[in-house]
Amino acid sequence: MGIGYAAIAIKAGMTPLETISMSFLVYAGAGQIIAASMVLSGATAMAIILTNFVVNLRYFVMSTCVLNKVEDSNLPLNILAAHVTVDESFAMFSLSEDSSIWIYLGIAITAWLSWCLGAGIGVVILDLLPVIVTNSFNISLYALFVAILTPAIKENRQIALLVLITAVLNIVLGQFLGNWSLIVSTLVGAGIGMYIVDDEYLLAGDG
Amino acid sequence: MDYMALVILGCTLVTFIPRLIPALFIDRLNFPPKAEKFLNLIPYTALAALICPGVLTVDNQLWYIGLIGAVVAACLAWKKVPMGAIVIITVVVLITVYSIVPFF
Repeated sequence: MGIGYAAIAIKAGMTPLETISMSFLVYAGAGQIIAASMVLSGATAMAIILTNFVVNLRYFVMSTCVLNKVEDSNLPLNILAAHVTVDESFAMFSLSEDSSIWIYLGIAITAWLSWCLGAGIGVVILDLLPVIVTNSFNISLYALFVAILTPAIKENRQIALLVLITAVLNIVLGQFLGNWSLIVSTLVGAGIGMYIVDDEYLLAGDG
Repeated sequence: MDYMALVILGCTLVTFIPRLIPALFIDRLNFPPKAEKFLNLIPYTALAALICPGVLTVDNQLWYIGLIGAVVAACLAWKKVPMGAIVIITVVVLITVYSIVPFF
């Protein structure tokens, strides 16, 4: 997965050090991809930072859920757990029957380090691989997004409708707002979702 | 400050702080159900907005490359193929498509 991010980051002109340190410090799959894509399209630093804030705001909820569930923890461990909370670690831990902080840190830190390792491998091998292969790696994060979203679409028609509305909204708003349309359509979409998605699904499914 | 350093530092802060707040105040936080619902919906809408139309720019020259990838990934996910396998198969399918395209 980290390889796909590295592909975009390198394309955007980021150095290997910048590419890897972003994976280590920011650690936000989609947020980093967006940041790198925005660097590529010449967005201002402020626009990139604000977009990341909105796109990564979901970690606030995920971090809250994870930290509510963990047992035998303390503040330093909670802070570490907070930093390594992403969609994957949150989803895996939510489904796990074990609620020990050590189990969570085991899952989440492994994911974090392999994300960084992926970026490291990416910056090294992308130079050596043919363009066909590096171009094909660009799909990997989108494939993951689609893979995460598809079960929810399959399971719940209201979510499917909301995804469709938000996608169309983002295409339309993109014509007027450019890079800002992602933030606006995410928030407006969630606002629309308040009315078209039943409470039960979200409270049961959680994330 | 250097543009990239500012981007990385800024993104680090705005990503870490929302994650950190629950760690500091976990015992005192209590969301109203409506706020929780709104925040729970954000992953779906964010993913929708990320995929569409971004997936069509996977290859700047050939818009359908990303579309093929998205359709392949969606079909595999529909059939409950594990996530890691979906990503690998999708990449392999695109490598195959790229190898065939020059013949048309």
